[in-house]
Amino acid sequence: MNPVWIVIIAIVVAPFIGGLLAGIDRKVTARLQGRYGPPLLQPFYDFFKLLGKSKIATSRTQYVWIISYLVFMVTCLVFLVLQLDLLLLVFLLGFAGVSFALAGFSTKSPYSHFGANRELLQILSYEPILLLAALGVYAQVGSFNISEIFKQQTPLLTSLWPIFIALLVVLTIKMRKSPFDIATSHHGHQELVKGIMTEISGPYYALVTLTEWYELVLVLGIISLFWANPLWVGILIAFAAFILELFVDNINARMTGGWMVRFCWAIAIVFCVLNILYLYFINMKGVL
Amino acid sequence: MSLEWMLAVAILLPLIAGILVYLIRHYQTRGLIVIVTAVVLIVNSIYFLRWGPDTFTPGSPMWGTIITILDYAMLLFYIYVGLSLKNWLVLLFALTQVIPLAWWEFGAGASTALEKISPAFVIDQLSIVMVMVISIIGSLICVYAIRYMYDHEEHKKLEKSRQPRFFFWLVMFLGAMNGLVLADNLMWLYFFWEVTTLCCFQLIAHDLTKEAINNGARALWMNSIGGTAMVAAMMYLYFTNGNSVDYLTLSNIIEAGRNGSLGATLMLPVALMCFTGMIKAAQMPFQNWLLGAMVAPTPVSALLHSSTMVKAGVYLVIRLAPAFDPVLGVMVAICGAFTFFAASVLAISQTTGKRVLAYSTIANLGLIVACAGINTELSISAAILLIIFHAISKGLLFLCAGTIEHQIWSREIEDMEGLAEKAPLTTFITITGMLSMFLPPFGMLLGKWMALEAVYVVPLAAILFVLASAATMVFWAKWLGRLLQVTPRLGRKIESLSLSYTVPLWSLFAGIFAFGIGVAPLYDKFVRAAVGNVVTVQHAFAEGWNILIPGAATTLSAEKGIEMLGSYPVWPLFIVFAVAIVLPLLLVSLKPQELRPVYLCGEQAGDVDTDEWYGAADQKTKLELGGYYFKGAASEEALNTWVYLIAIALFVIMFGIVVGVSL
Repeated sequence: MNPVWIVIIAIVVAPFIGGLLAGIDRKVTARLQGRYGPPLLQPFYDFFKLLGKSKIATSRTQYVWIISYLVFMVTCLVFLVLQLDLLLLVFLLGFAGVSFALAGFSTKSPYSHFGANRELLQILSYEPILLLAALGVYAQVGSFNISEIFKQQTPLLTSLWPIFIALLVVLTIKMRKSPFDIATSHHGHQELVKGIMTEISGPYYALVTLTEWYELVLVLGIISLFWANPLWVGILIAFAAFILELFVDNINARMTGGWMVRFCWAIAIVFCVLNILYLYFINMKGVL
Repeated sequence: MSLEWMLAVAILLPLIAGILVYLIRHYQTRGLIVIVTAVVLIVNSIYFLRWGPDTFTPGSPMWGTIITILDYAMLLFYIYVGLSLKNWLVLLFALTQVIPLAWWEFGAGASTALEKISPAFVIDQLSIVMVMVISIIGSLICVYAIRYMYDHEEHKKLEKSRQPRFFFWLVMFLGAMNGLVLADNLMWLYFFWEVTTLCCFQLIAHDLTKEAINNGARALWMNSIGGTAMVAAMMYLYFTNGNSVDYLTLSNIIEAGRNGSLGATLMLPVALMCFTGMIKAAQMPFQNWLLGAMVAPTPVSALLHSSTMVKAGVYLVIRLAPAFDPVLGVMVAICGAFTFFAASVLAISQTTGKRVLAYSTIANLGLIVACAGINTELSISAAILLIIFHAISKGLLFLCAGTIEHQIWSREIEDMEGLAEKAPLTTFITITGMLSMFLPPFGMLLGKWMALEAVYVVPLAAILFVLASAATMVFWAKWLGRLLQVTPRLGRKIESLSLSYTVPLWSLFAGIFAFGIGVAPLYDKFVRAAVGNVVTVQHAFAEGWNILIPGAATTLSAEKGIEMLGSYPVWPLFIVFAVAIVLPLLLVSLKPQELRPVYLCGEQAGDVDTDEWYGAADQKTKLELGGYYFKGAASEEALNTWVYLIAIALFVIMFGIVVGVSL
């Protein structure tokens, strides 16, 4: 297929999948908490309602960073569907996260700053894991290009399962779920004072929601790479990981930012490091 | 123009210009001399590019004698500095240079042979790249300094201007650097090396405060350790090769390293010279001299960090890379990667703008040194690209830091809060400079990306790279956040800056974009040949305007029969950058009535134009936010002990292995 079509389809379809997943999230979470929950399409209703609201902002530059967050996230998705460089994708994803934090910093609001600083803690936690995952993929496949992953006959999961587990931690952080939902809330689980989102409203809020949908699809897409042949197994694994997150969210309490960084650096990163070192020595044996 | 003249202009013109500005104590004339020198140096560097590879030895033996005399004059001056400041470390490391050197030349009777080493200069693509970086970016910084030093002294209310002295050292620095990167004769290299150390000392100590003198002396003794190591390396090469000066040129050392004709005896001198380079590149545990250097006026920092001094260090390490034993290479890679990691983490906790920049420089130098240690075509390409892009971006950022300092008279990040409102133009350039350090389309990230794709052969270094990259993003984002934070008051004025400020700022700004977008042709036409001076060039990494790395570039992917190792679409990413940041800035603008005050639980006192809130008893209180500096986990107090221990241990292991192998 023409790459242009692939890109267009991905950009159009991803938000629908992301929105649906968000709907499933709310429904399942509600059931787990003994509530009935909103209709499945509620995230879309919210999205369109937000789009129709009037533009209001507390800073003159914040919108730049919100748009940048969206554009870089979409770029990451394009990299994924065009099967380009995984390492570069991770750098782009990192900058998307930084953009969102900058959106939080560009207004003089205490709550927004809370959220932005915590967002940075999250980047400090998940960015090394993602980079190590890319390195692990290289150690196994011999290339950073995603297209080469699809040429592999044995799925990555068999040799990279420690990195896969670490990626589930990244998924939790990216979905802003407990125990890692540090950046998203200040006053309990309420919507009004929600980290960076405190100072974002109307259409800008809609853009952030849209970006989060892209992000969800992207991270699940990266996870599905671990069983790229046949891809439907990978997609099933990603979906299972998603459902697992919902349970994890509901049986855990939120932990502190410091705990998150320590957990990631002391456990998740160590998983990745051991995985890479193991593969390195296996590869060395091949040379010798 | 003949090569002789080109060399004279590159090395001696800055000295002559320096003497002129020292003698003519007049602001406008000084400015004119500096600008003319800058233009001539830039044009001259382009002549070097067109001239291409060559060698040159001056016909008259007089130059060798002059250099020997000046060598001793400098070392005696160091002894004088050590005695007059009662700084015993300066004295000690001056003596460790002068005594062996004097014994070697006069006691062991090597002096006549030493003055006849040839070739004196070797011009190859790598030195041409360095000459261009030094001449173009260094000159721009000197132009910036004209007005900066004027404002600096206005602010300090000095009675007698010390600018002539300042510009003497500043301009001469460029000549010494040009000489350093062109020299092939080790004695001459050593001489230029010492001149840069001397210039550095004089410039750091320029303000003559107690702190400035102490920090200058620290830079002096730390770099003197490097000088001592270089003297030791030269003597070792002389005596182990039967009292011959054959191996006292860089080209012969590299040649011997390539064909292994000297065997294990080459390892120790190469390691010693590499050590010299790493001290100058402020690698841990020697980072303190560069951190201390920030007390100097900002153009000095800009010069030290971007185009001179520290770049001499990484230049030497890269230059020697072909002579690395594989084990030495791995150790250098790990030392560099550790510096990259530790400096990036320490940068998170810094509250002073220039100190963040300093740690960032140390980190990037670590990355470059590590790339040299890995020593493959891919990693050396990354290293040279990083030298170029780092010089541009860091030069710009220091000039921005200086401009900010002269508007708010502070270097503290907390004082830069809301700078976007007070000085929108400076802030705009600063933000672009910061983004260029870590945002995907720009050259620095390209270099880091290349380095990461090459680093897997040393997995420990790879892991340190990854952790460092994450920390890098955090410390830049934190600083950016402080600049951006504003209360949207209505109407703001763009500040006016002197041309002496704006010309260098905008030139470097344009450089970031021009070289960033044109990185693939830049690599193909300019850098690739320089890489070829270090390792054999086998692959094309540039295709059109994009960077494509073939699978044959690393051993692992070559074994697995991979076609494509990685790809970096340059111009598509610049389009993304334009759509994400430039277009929204240009196209979207908020109307005043769309602005609202921030949420303060209903306690805000007034509308958008105020940032006050009602405290207890409805007292109006100013809203103040502070940055978050991870003081508990990432501070120097918490980490420095470990950093020093590990860094020293790494060097001890490195030399332990080297000595073990060469004995």
